[in-house]
Order: sequence, then structure tokens, then C-alpha cells
Amino acid sequence: MNRGFVWILKALLSHYWRHPWQTLFMAIGLIAGVGLWSAVQIINQHAEASYRQAQSLLGAQASYWIQSRRDEGIEQSLYIDLRRAGFRQVFPLIELEVGTVEGISVSIIATDLLALPGDAFGAEGDTGDFAETWLKFVQPPYRAWVPEALARELRLEAGAQLRLRGGRSLPPALIQAREQQGRRVLLDIGAAMSLSGSDRFSYLAVGPVTQREHARLAALLPEYLELTENQQHIDLRELTESLHSHLTAMSLLSFAVGLFIVFNAVRFSLWYRRATILDLRLMGCATQQLFTAILLETLLWSLIGTALGFGLGILLAHALLPGLGASLQSLYAATVDSDLGLSPLTLLQAWSITLLGLVWALSWPLYRQLQQSSLEAGRSAGLLRDEAVARRRLALAALALALIAGLGYGRIETVTQGFVVLGLMLFAAAWLLPILLAAGLLLAGWLVPRSRLLPRWMVSDGWSQMPALRSAMMALLLALTANLGVGTLVDSFRNAFVGWLEVRQSADIYLRGPRVDYGRLRASPSTRSWLAASHYRIGVNTRWRDRPTLVRGIDPRAPDSLELPLSLWQGESAAAARRVWREQPGKVLINEQLHFLAGVELGETIELNTDGGARKFEVVGVFYDYGNPYFQFYLPYEVVARNWSHHYSRGIALWLKHDNNEAMQQAEASLTALGARPGDWISQAQVRRLSVGIFDRTFAITAAMNGLTMIVAAIALLASLLAILQERLPQFAQWRALGLRQGEQLLLVATPLLIFCVIAWLMSIPLGALLSWILIHKLNIISFGWSMPLVWEFEPALRLALLVLLICAATLLLVSYQWRRKMPQALAQLGETI
Amino acid sequence: MTRRYILVALLLLAPAAVAQDVLGGLRDQGLGFAQVTPGKKLQFPRDHGAHPDYRIEWWYLTANLSDDDGRDWGLQWTLFRQALSPEPVDSGWNSNQIWMAHVAITTPDGHFHEQRFARGGIGQAGVTEIERDGFFNAWMDDWEWRSNGASLLPARLRFTIGEREIDLSLEATGELVANGIDGYSQKSAQGQASYYYSHPFIRLGGTVKSGPEKIDLAGKGWLDREWSSQALAQNQQGWDWFSLHLDDGHKLMVYQLRHDGGEHWLSGNWIGADGSTRLLGRDAIDLSPLQLRAISTGENRSRRLPMEWRLLLVEQDRRWRIRPLYDDQWMDTTIPYWEGVVIVEGENGQRAGVGYMELTGYQ
Repeated sequence: MNRGFVWILKALLSHYWRHPWQTLFMAIGLIAGVGLWSAVQIINQHAEASYRQAQSLLGAQASYWIQSRRDEGIEQSLYIDLRRAGFRQVFPLIELEVGTVEGISVSIIATDLLALPGDAFGAEGDTGDFAETWLKFVQPPYRAWVPEALARELRLEAGAQLRLRGGRSLPPALIQAREQQGRRVLLDIGAAMSLSGSDRFSYLAVGPVTQREHARLAALLPEYLELTENQQHIDLRELTESLHSHLTAMSLLSFAVGLFIVFNAVRFSLWYRRATILDLRLMGCATQQLFTAILLETLLWSLIGTALGFGLGILLAHALLPGLGASLQSLYAATVDSDLGLSPLTLLQAWSITLLGLVWALSWPLYRQLQQSSLEAGRSAGLLRDEAVARRRLALAALALALIAGLGYGRIETVTQGFVVLGLMLFAAAWLLPILLAAGLLLAGWLVPRSRLLPRWMVSDGWSQMPALRSAMMALLLALTANLGVGTLVDSFRNAFVGWLEVRQSADIYLRGPRVDYGRLRASPSTRSWLAASHYRIGVNTRWRDRPTLVRGIDPRAPDSLELPLSLWQGESAAAARRVWREQPGKVLINEQLHFLAGVELGETIELNTDGGARKFEVVGVFYDYGNPYFQFYLPYEVVARNWSHHYSRGIALWLKHDNNEAMQQAEASLTALGARPGDWISQAQVRRLSVGIFDRTFAITAAMNGLTMIVAAIALLASLLAILQERLPQFAQWRALGLRQGEQLLLVATPLLIFCVIAWLMSIPLGALLSWILIHKLNIISFGWSMPLVWEFEPALRLALLVLLICAATLLLVSYQWRRKMPQALAQLGETI
Repeated sequence: MTRRYILVALLLLAPAAVAQDVLGGLRDQGLGFAQVTPGKKLQFPRDHGAHPDYRIEWWYLTANLSDDDGRDWGLQWTLFRQALSPEPVDSGWNSNQIWMAHVAITTPDGHFHEQRFARGGIGQAGVTEIERDGFFNAWMDDWEWRSNGASLLPARLRFTIGEREIDLSLEATGELVANGIDGYSQKSAQGQASYYYSHPFIRLGGTVKSGPEKIDLAGKGWLDREWSSQALAQNQQGWDWFSLHLDDGHKLMVYQLRHDGGEHWLSGNWIGADGSTRLLGRDAIDLSPLQLRAISTGENRSRRLPMEWRLLLVEQDRRWRIRPLYDDQWMDTTIPYWEGVVIVEGENGQRAGVGYMELTGYQ
């Protein structure tokens, strides 16, 4: 690098320390954008890495499962027989859900660490704490290994015992976790058995076996047990793909909003460096050298942005992961470890996307500047004309984008395509905004009476502010639209979900576990005083079109079956379709997932594999099945019992007599007398709380991303206003010298800003509605197979308006402070020039 | 012999503070556990079974075998029991008994070993009570010693190491012998002791199968049975132990507990072909290492161990040189040690017998 070049670089970069505020904003925009994007990437890649590990469980390979076809669990003697037959790769597992006294649901996984294949027990490095770590784990009073993040969430200290419903508690906690433990508490089998009161394992896991061993193992199993391949790593990737795509889309939006800030800052730096660049060229610097200097500047910014942005991303990912992990576990039974694994690939991706963004937002405009003739660059009179041209060009581009989005809309088939159309739409709207802002100014100017000079001035000053505010307004529009659109989606979903829960979970008590026999419960005289109705449900787990599928046998005359909400039905009404399903043989109800994801239509005949071979059923209705990632068929109880001998209990729903005030206490007493234990039943209120809790947690990350995007937009606005202040300070000083008061001056800046914000806000309303419409009617259905009515409310829009006002007020306050600080100097300078 | 304590000790007892001190647990006073006292008579078949009120116990079989080509083979099959607390809880998942098993096979192609753990009370590992169950069975998973009737022998021993399946029949060619004084085996001057008997007269025959290859083996075995609640003195850092089948029909067991300072604790049993025993005290044995050699103990790791020994019995005026069949018989288990086939050579340098050697506590 020769000295001349160093000088060029120094001259170009000097801008950044002469305008530290703008430098700061540029950095913030870049870091925030990269941070939000990389946070989601880190989470997604971490989750995917966890899914890949689904072939392992607690650090041991689990290539197959041994499960009871009847969901009865597995007795200990069978497990010992298998071990004694030489199947050392077989290990027992118990999975439990327990509720804390605070009503939080906690997942438990239990195994015998001594029996885990692969020398897990007392592995090297653990011997130091052997007694504390291992021996206490396998001996009463046992230990509960709780991952750090979960312990934090449960506010559980080492050594403390988590108190559970029904007067039980977990063993003393040790803040520690094994691989693939996820957000679960790890217990010894012995501890889990005392907790559950059952002496059976949930299932057995089988490590790698040769073909010969597989055959020998299968032959050893009694008929009611099945040996199935662990396909979780494939299933999980498929099932969660949509969720991760959603997150990626949100993160790209955040990145785009961040780039708007950068773009804005660059525009400002161009303005200021016009003179510098002109001087440099007049001094004889080669375009080549200037170009290289610009590239170096871009590279420098990309490195700063990536390093700090990625750091922010890691922090954000740490904050967002526990919630997402909980959702993944509740919805998909996916285990995501709480310790983040970082891959250099993510860092490289972050750097590439930053560089790409900067080339677009920084290098390209700078390069264009270079291309202009020296003379033209020196003139500033053409600026306003340039701005008008730019507006028109942007509007034309917006129309083109909108056209492409419109054409693409009908062809959306995958989640990614959906998000591309959404992105096109959003950018079309953003690019259309400047011309609308101009139209708004024209309209305001036309509305203000000709005689009112000051208001006219205030409105027309908007033309000067427009170039600086343009990008910030676009960022604001994007943030507002995303907020409204996603907010409406979440509200609509919540509305549909809660309404659906009310019908689907209308029973007062849900009883699980093998301890209470349905026949005995029905026959017991002790239930007469309180039991109004009951519903015993059975199920079969199977695969349909290679996806995990449930076939459920339900009592067609149970209260909840009679009201089963259908989204589509054959015949004149949902009730008529349910009647046909109930009364005519060979009819089936399918969930929306089967309809939307697998394309099964009403009236179609599908085949299910029964004990007696494939059987045909005709689809007469489609029911809502929110939150379920699997395919599900509903058949009358008898049909399932007859066709699948290995069906298992899916629990008993009990309705209380509402004229009996003590029904709940009586119910609990007779259930206990019938052999149930506390924890075997759960009340409707608890079920709802759990379900809604899972729902809220699932959307917590969406809300967080939305909020962060809004913050980024607010920063964009602040940056622009400060830029205006900086650019026009001499002008403002002149006005002040002419006698304009500070309040008037502030109004001068605030009025166009308010006009612009109102326009952006107004535009965000239909745009937000459109966004939510596409999200609900296209993307949600393609992603999850859940349909719901769009619920539009104005309140969120009003709340956003208030928020925008607050942001404006806060930025104006900051601007006026800056003003006050800088005005004396500006006035002094003015005095010197005069 | 006292030797196996170290394995169990570190694995199951050693607290964090004494992680470096592998014998910490053994030096524990063993309060609350049943104590080893002199004068107690061993009773059979009862004492073949487990003693869950004692802290530690093992069933330790080593065998020197040869194939049809006369090549030397060896095997080790060991079951360790450990009680985690004094009050025995035998059955169910709450059982306080933990089992550990080590198996190894020394072949002309190399030494192979495996380690397993299991908890007591659930049937995955254990030892039957012959009087109650009518047969002897010591097992972990599919590794097992199972007698044909209500006695220790004859029996069938089956286990696997990786792809190798070992299946041998065992029968007694003599009586078992009590070590120490009627089975009370003192381990230090401070009074540490164990109950200890051996069965040095076992004839083995059977096969080792590896894939399509099947090799017939036959030879002599040595079973050690020992249980205690506290066995090592504070200053004992490890031991060297030998069980030898001499060609003249004698069996010899010798061990030395190495002390940090002062004289090592030496003890042994000189067993005649007729089963007669002669307790060997410290002055009756002269045991000294001849050569220290670096043994590979894993990838890029090695330790220096005394691989060759000179053994002299003073009263019998017999002396031997003991050398390993080959050096690489390291047990890279959680607590690693050297255990393997040794060749006994007489004064003239001629082969005079075979046996097993165990070296522990070397860093």
C-alpha cells in the first residue's frame, strides 16, 4: 500500500470520527441487524444439530425403540431377560410429566446410568466427583440432575427439592445435565418409579445392533411389544422445518430493517463526503484507488458488524433459546440442549450476509458517486430534482415488485416461496412509501390556507427533510407492518385456539395412567353422585405416508365428540357429517394436517393398515387440531378396538354434575378409592393453563423479535433526525438569527415528521392486514396445516400509533437537546461567515 | 488377596478430596458395616454367596489355558460387589448394592478386556444363595458362572468380549483352601483384614469363538473369594500379587502390600498338590522386582511397571524368575491396572509353571 493510498483511505474514513453520532448509528444498525439475524441462525442450527443427535439419548446410541403396542409400558423382567440374553445395548427409560405446586409442567426422563451402553457410568473425568455425582444419583434419596437453564427457570438451587402437586417432591437437585437431556430433569429409574408409583418402564432404547442381532432381538420380544427404528432425527427435521423457516423470515426482516439504518447513514456520509471525494479527484487520485479504498472501508465495516453483531446474536440466542426449547419439547417432543453449540459456518454466513448487505447499502452508492463527473458532483442544486427522480424510480420498482408478488401469490406451495412473496410485498410497500410521503406533503400544503405562512413553511420544509427521512420511514413502515401482521396472526390464533380448547377440553377432569379401570369406574356406585358423563379414548400409533400418525378411537356419543368442531364437512352441516361418521360404518374424520399437508380431500377414500390388512375409510369431515404436528384420524371407539388389537388407552375424560357443589371433592375421593394416585388426574383448568402456556411460550420468540425490530426502527428514526440536524445546522442558525424561536424551529422539524409518520402508520394498517391474511390463509396452512379465522382489531394499530408518537417525541426531545448544545457554535460560525 | 480392593475402592468410595488417593475408601474405617474378626469359621456353600453386610467382595477367576498348538492363553473373569451403605438393601431399585465386572482374555494375538457395571436388586447382576436356590450362579448380563448343582463346581462359565464368545466348563480337581488363618487374612500390622479363600484346583476346558473361528482351550484356573469392610492401612499404596500353578503340582499365592515408608506387608500360601497349606509370613518370602519396563496404557500414555520378578521362598529353599507372557496385558478400565499371564522359570531357566500377576497402584 503506498502512502498516497493510505492518505485517500484516511481522508475517506475521517468522516466517521468527525460525525461520531452517525458512526454510532451506522454501527448500531449493522450490529442490530446482524445480531438479530445471527441469533435466529444460531438457534436454528443448534436445534438442527440437536435433531441430528436424536439417534442418541442421554449420551448413548438409540437406534431402535422397544415399545408396548398397548402403551402399557414394559415390565422389568423382560428388560432383565434381554440383558441376560446378551443385549447390553438395551437400556430402560421412563418419561413423566409432573406439575409443580406453581403449576409449571416439568418433563422428567429417567434411566439407569449404570446400564447405559458405552461406559457412561464413571466415565473418565468424572471420578473426582464420583461419590457426589454418580453414587448419590443411584441411591435413595437420589439426585435430580437439572440443566442450568431449567433450574434458573424453576428458580431451583442446587440441593433444593422441587415441590410437586399432590404433596410429592423431586430428589435434591444437582445442577448438571447429560447429552440430549434437553429441558428435562434426569432421574434414576428408582427415583422415577417411586415418583410415578409404577414399576414399569415407558420404553426401552436399543443401541446399534447387527442384522443378526436385530433378528434375534425381535424374536425374543413378546407379541405385544414392537421393535421400531428410531426415526426421530428425520421426523423432527420435517416437523419443525416450518417453525424454523418462520424464524428465519423474521430474522431476515430484522436484518433488512437494520440495513435501512445503514443505508440512511451511508446517504448521510455521501452527502458529507461529496466534497472530500471531489477534492480527492481534483487532486488527481485515480478512480481505481478510490474504488479500492471504498472496498476496504466496506470490508472494515463488515468485520466490525459481524464481530459485534455475532456477539449480540449469541447473547440474544441464549436469551431466546429456553423458551423455544420448551416449545419444541411440548409441541414436537424435540430435545434441544440448553448449551448452545456454535458453528464457524454460522459466523461465516453472518459475515457473508453482512458483506452483501454493505455492498448494497454502502459500496454501491459510493461507487455511483465516483462514477458521476466531478463537475456534477460539485453541484448541490440538483439534489431535490434527484430526490424526485429517485422517488419515481422507487415507485416504479415497487410496482414491479408488487406485480411479481401478485403473480407469485397464486403459485405459493412451500413455506419459503410464501416468505419470498411476503418479502416482495413488503419491499414493494416500502419503496412505494416515498412517493406517498411526497403526495402527503402536497396534500398538506394544499390543505393549509395560503395566508398561514408559518404552517405552510412547516409543511414545505418536509421536502428538505424527505431525503434524510426516507429510509427511516421505510424501516418504520416495515417494522409497523410486521408488528401488526404478526400480532394479528398471533391474536387470531390465540382466539381460535382458546375457543377450540373450550370445546375440545370440555370435560372437568382428565384421568391418565393404567391404575383406574374404565369398566370399574363406570360400575362403581361411588361415582354416581358426581359423574355426569365420561369418555374413554383409545389410540394406535402408526405411520401414514411416512409421517408419525395417530389413529384415535373416540366415543361418538361423548359430550366432546358431539360438539367436535369441524372446519370442513360433507353434507349440509357439521352436525350432519358427525352423524354420518357416527352411524355409518367405514367413515373417518381427519385432522386439518391431513387435509392441508397430505392433500386428503373430503369424500376421498383412504387406506389404513389394520391387524387384518388394509381397510378403506371415506373422509366425511375435517377437524381442527391445533398444536398437533402429527396426522390424526378419528374413528368410533369400536372400530379401533375391533381393527387394532394393540390399541392403548388415551385416558378418560370425566364431566362432573354441575348441580353438585362438592362434585370435585367427591370425584377425587372416589378416584383415589379406585386406585388412582395424585398426579394421575388433572383438572380442566390445569389442562387449559398448560395448553395456553405452551401456546404463549411458542409465540414468545415472535413477540421478542417483533419488539426488537421495532427498536431497530426507532433507532433508524433517531439517526435520521440527528442527521438532519447535523446537515442543516447552518441553515437553522440562519433562521434563528432571523428571529425564529426555538419552539417554532422544533415545530418546523416535527410537523413534516408527524405527517410522514402518520402516512407510514396509515399505510401499515392495510399492509399489516394483508400480511396477516397471507400468514393465516397461506403460510400457516402450508406450514402447520392449521386454519383459523382472521380476527382484526384496531386496538393494536392504535397502540402502535401511540408508540410511534412516543418514539417521535423521544427523538425530538433528544434533537432539541442537541440543538441547544450546538446552536451557539453554529451561530458563532454564522457570524464569522457574514 | 487384598488386591482387588483398590478397584472397588476408587470406583465406589473415593470422595472428591482424595481423588488422587485411590485407596482412600479402603482406608475408611467401614463404620456400620460388618467387621472382619479372627476366629470365625468359613461355612460352605453359604460363603460362596454374597455378604451384603460387608462393604466389598469379589469372585475372581483367573485361568492359564493352552490351545491345541500349545500356545499360552489366559482369562480373567471378575465380579465385584460393593455396598454403598451399611444396612443391606438387597432387592428393588433402591438396593444399595452395586456390581462391577471385569473380563479379559489373553490370546496369542493380543489382550482384550471389557468392563461393566450394574446395580443390585433388579436381577441384572448378582450371586445366588446355593442353599436357597439350589445352584451357584454369579452373573452380570450375559456373563455368568453357573454351577450344575448345589455346589460351586462343576460349572459352566460363559462371557463375551466384543465379538469373542467364551464358553468353558469348570470342574474341581481338588479342594478349596482357606488363606491366612482359617480364612482370616490380615493385611497390615494395624489389624486390617479380610475373609479370604481360594480354589486353586480348577480344570477348565471349552472354546473361544470369534466369528467363524473356533478354538479349543484347556487349562488350570484359580478362583479367589474375598470380602471385607476395611482392608488397607493408611500408608499402603498398592500391591503386587501372584497366583502360580507350578509344574510339580504345587500352587503358590504370594502378595505384597507396598508401604509408603518402612517394610512392605508380605503374605502367601504354599499349597501342596494334596491341598495341604502352609501360611507364608513376611520373613518366609523374598520378592523383588528385576526389571522396570514402560507399558503402553493407552494412546500416547505409558507407565513404568516392574515386569520381571525374582521370588524366593526361604523355608522351601525354592526360587523362581517370573516374567509376563507379554507386556501388553494392561486393563484400561475405570481404575486401570496390570493383570495377565506370567511364565514361571526355575533356577535353570527352564519353564517351571504358569500363573497370573496383578500390579496395582503404580503411577
